[in-house]
Amino acid sequence: MPSLPDIAPLAPSDAAAAPADDILIIEDVFKSFPGVEAVRGFSARIRRQEVVVIMGPSGSGKSTLLRCLNGLEQADSGLIIVDGIPLDDNHAHRLEIRQETGMVFQSFNLFPHLTVLENINLAPMRVRHKSEQEATARSMELLGMVGIADKASSYPAHLSGGQQQRVAIARALAMSPKIMLFDEPTSALDPEMINEVLDVMKDLARAGMTMVVVTHEMGFAREVADRIILMDSGSIVETGTPDTFFTNPREERTRRFLSQIL
Amino acid sequence: MIAQKVRFRLLDAIIVVALLGLAGWVYYRIAYGIEYKANWGVIPQYLLRRDGATGRLVANYLVEGLLTTLRLSVWSTLLAMLVGVLVALSRTSSSLFWRLVGGAYVETIRNLPPLVLIFIFYYFVIDQLMPLLGLDALLSSRSMGALRAIAWLFADPSLLTQLISGVITLAFFQGAYISEILRAGILSIERGQREAAWSLGLSKLDTMRFVIMPQVVRRVLPALANEFVNTIKYSSIASVVSIQELTFMGRQVVVATRAIFETWITVSLMYMTLTLTLSLFTSRLEQRLRARD
Ligand SMILES: Nc1ncnc2c1ncn2[C@@H]1O[C@H](COP(=O)(O)OP(=O)(O)O)[C@@H](O)[C@H]1O
Ligand SMILES: [Mg+2]
Repeated sequence: MPSLPDIAPLAPSDAAAAPADDILIIEDVFKSFPGVEAVRGFSARIRRQEVVVIMGPSGSGKSTLLRCLNGLEQADSGLIIVDGIPLDDNHAHRLEIRQETGMVFQSFNLFPHLTVLENINLAPMRVRHKSEQEATARSMELLGMVGIADKASSYPAHLSGGQQQRVAIARALAMSPKIMLFDEPTSALDPEMINEVLDVMKDLARAGMTMVVVTHEMGFAREVADRIILMDSGSIVETGTPDTFFTNPREERTRRFLSQIL
Repeated sequence: MIAQKVRFRLLDAIIVVALLGLAGWVYYRIAYGIEYKANWGVIPQYLLRRDGATGRLVANYLVEGLLTTLRLSVWSTLLAMLVGVLVALSRTSSSLFWRLVGGAYVETIRNLPPLVLIFIFYYFVIDQLMPLLGLDALLSSRSMGALRAIAWLFADPSLLTQLISGVITLAFFQGAYISEILRAGILSIERGQREAAWSLGLSKLDTMRFVIMPQVVRRVLPALANEFVNTIKYSSIASVVSIQELTFMGRQVVVATRAIFETWITVSLMYMTLTLTLSLFTSRLEQRLRARD
């Protein structure tokens, strides 16, 4: 896998708006659906270039939390601040936050009627008003980094799951986001394709991208996570470095969870 | 796929043969049962006639009618698509108000006979809309060239009001059905497509334009093609408000010649030329779009 030299240039001057190094501040976020409290008082602060892995049983609110972070769901209460911009009712704030946060879904969600290149070019051209030439140059660079430049003119249906997910990552990166959110990016993949996607994500982490990753891939978590959060019933059970989390967890609940997924 | 596309199969061949047999029998009954003397010789002169002054062949009633039907269908289809898209968007919008407005429109149209609708629109358009648009003033200020262009694209200026009311009626009528097809198509697009577009920062409009609608159109093309054919067929009701389209002209020719069967068979064949050409075209388009997935 080629290295990632110029992912998300992290301009220090941008930090002026955000206190210290916390690029993402989540405070006491609640979100319910009719009959379910999906997220119940989640708080965390995520530093620039930090990689946070969120684990937890199915239905514990991981996806809902992630979706609240980029405004796909509107939190009922609590505070979310992305790089100094509060996610509130202000339309401009919401727009800026979803442009600055990349999201990768379990089901890839590529646009099936567009080629790989068109998928990646669309947002830079429509949102950032780049010329097609400019956008294409950047898109090809990104495709090279995720290792599928030769598929630029293919349609998504002709790609394997692993290739599709790598395109989805490139598509999100094309907007030069400050934070990347991953919601179980490898859960829908055949086992032999999981690593090609994880490798891209590892490169991304090493290049200094701030990442929040919902995954149960222990190898990935051990290797690149700065912090692991275990969620259950909508709130945090335990937070720790990979070392303490896997080898010496404080909570009984964490031990039970780990024994289930190991 | 929401609708199956039309394809010629063995069963169709059997049906065609059966229909031909039936036609033969009907012909036999007409010719010998009621002693109808077919006189096909009168038809060609109503298709084309020789211009007295220039000696060139020009369109006569039936071909003129066909052209009017074509104009009527093209403009109402375009307008119906516009109406259909707008109504489908309002019916799938998050605003209750727009959903109600769209719903009321579709239900009203779907529960009225098109014939009644065309009378309403005809008198409304002539009484209210035309003065409002200042169409007469507009026309009288045009040059000869512009008037000829209008006649070629729409209708002779003296018949423009009729044509416009016909176009509006057909467009609103077909628009309701097209909007239902598009709405079903929009609802069939997976939620993940919108979410991906949202996450990339695309605006609502761009999401519709570049992500949702192109997929919707591919999915509902067969059903849409069916509605386009329907538009051509329903355009015949415009004959009741004196729009000189094919059915209207057919009636004129029947009155002039008394060649009832010959005329209507000719008219039928002319309609089928239009509709079958359209079907052929859309199924080609479908094949090309399908090549991608
Ligand atoms: N759009 C929704 N409508 C209703 N309930 C939802 C919706 N999304 C999630 N939920 C519910 O919220 C809870 C948390 O779901 P989710 O965030 O998807 O959990 P996880 O990603 O950890 O599996 C579940 O009980 C789920 O059924
Ligand atoms: Mg989930």
